[in-house]
Amino acid sequence: MRSFFVPTRINWLHRANPAVKLPLFILLFGVTVLTHRIDASFYLACVFLALLFLASGYPLWKTALLASGFALAFASASLTMILFGKGSEVWWSLGPISISKESFYRGLHLGFRSIAFGCQGLLFVLTTSSTGLFYALMQRLKLSPKYAYSFMASLRLMPMALDELRIRRDALSVRGAGKGASASLLRLPELYALPLLAQSIRRAQRTAVAMEVKRFDAGRRRTYYYSSPITRNDGAAVLVLSGAAGAALLLAHLLPLFALGDMRMNP
Amino acid sequence: MSAKRTEAASRRRGLTLTDVLVTVVVSLVLGVVYHLWASVSSLAGLLFIQSDELVYGMWFAASTLAFLLIRKPGVALIAEIAAAHLEIAFGSAYGIQLLLYSVLQGLAAELVFAAFRYRNTSAVAAGLAGVAAAAGSLLADIYYGYVAEYATWLILFKYSLRAVSSFVIAGYLMYGLAKLLERAGVTQSLRPVERKEYDALDG
Repeated sequence: MRSFFVPTRINWLHRANPAVKLPLFILLFGVTVLTHRIDASFYLACVFLALLFLASGYPLWKTALLASGFALAFASASLTMILFGKGSEVWWSLGPISISKESFYRGLHLGFRSIAFGCQGLLFVLTTSSTGLFYALMQRLKLSPKYAYSFMASLRLMPMALDELRIRRDALSVRGAGKGASASLLRLPELYALPLLAQSIRRAQRTAVAMEVKRFDAGRRRTYYYSSPITRNDGAAVLVLSGAAGAALLLAHLLPLFALGDMRMNP
Repeated sequence: MSAKRTEAASRRRGLTLTDVLVTVVVSLVLGVVYHLWASVSSLAGLLFIQSDELVYGMWFAASTLAFLLIRKPGVALIAEIAAAHLEIAFGSAYGIQLLLYSVLQGLAAELVFAAFRYRNTSAVAAGLAGVAAAAGSLLADIYYGYVAEYATWLILFKYSLRAVSSFVIAGYLMYGLAKLLERAGVTQSLRPVERKEYDALDG
């Protein structure tokens, strides 16, 4: 599974310091959350989708595979609003369902926004290694090492937990346990969650004791295996990403497709 | 003796690397459960309108389970963030907003445990923390999903279902799981040592 998340091309966005990138993406998230016009959200979705395919450094099919999840995100964000949202200009109604002009466009707007969020999140994940992220957070943003090394260690413990899940499932099926319809659903916590959790907690504890002995949790004066410098790639990342958001907002202003106002009832 | 006591007290209050790693790993295992739960949730969604809210409480389970096991301040928040981190790290289509949700939900659950001064580890307290996490998710939904623009009956229906499900799943179910883990004997070394246990040694 880990080899899936290795980029084939390394570009400026991969080389940018995660301690710069993370606040930048949180800022982009804030800008997108505060976007209440459908034109702006539409262009934000388009621009960041394009940027995701251009700058992620992954082959086209992999990016497309990951981006296919956006369809579901779009549907889950927009459908409920389209069918049950408030609105005065009703197009169609049946029982509790009432589709109005306002709720329809508001639903689309939410869908576009969820695509924009998804693209931004995926762009960050695909261009940042978690080791790089936590080293940068420790060195640049003064995150306490005990949190950083715990998170990094946990990602290494993850495959073991997945292996155990597979072994447990095989062992149970060899013995013919866990069959029968309703009773097995109730026994699911006992059959799977308990042994997996118990084993993982014991392993985490052993690992943590070893890490404490080796002073992984030492604060203040310590050295780091990887350095986390600020380079000109960070300038490029700031310029390109803020330029992309600015371009989307400018396009929405110059070439509005829907030309509708604020999507909320009482802004 | 008093020096030893203060050392023990400071160890009790702060989080050690062991506490953090165990918390993160607990939410990691629950993260695997979440992946399976996503299909349960979409199946449950076919029953009636918003019926997937019936199983929504599972998404708050990491914070309550971690607190019931470790019983220290801060654990509920870290558990929520760790669960979100796992989802994000494996390329979820819901990127950074998971971080926002996790912080709000974790803080809300943390507030409930803090209101009980981190002493109450009953199923009811865990259930209330689950309900608080649901309220935190409502706050995020208002900004992220404009839920305030839904028809009023739908808002009430959706969030009361979510609150009930949080109380049952994040509260009672996780309490039961924590009890099972206690019986299996994995929790003894996790919990902070209490004053009366030192006193028992003195006497």
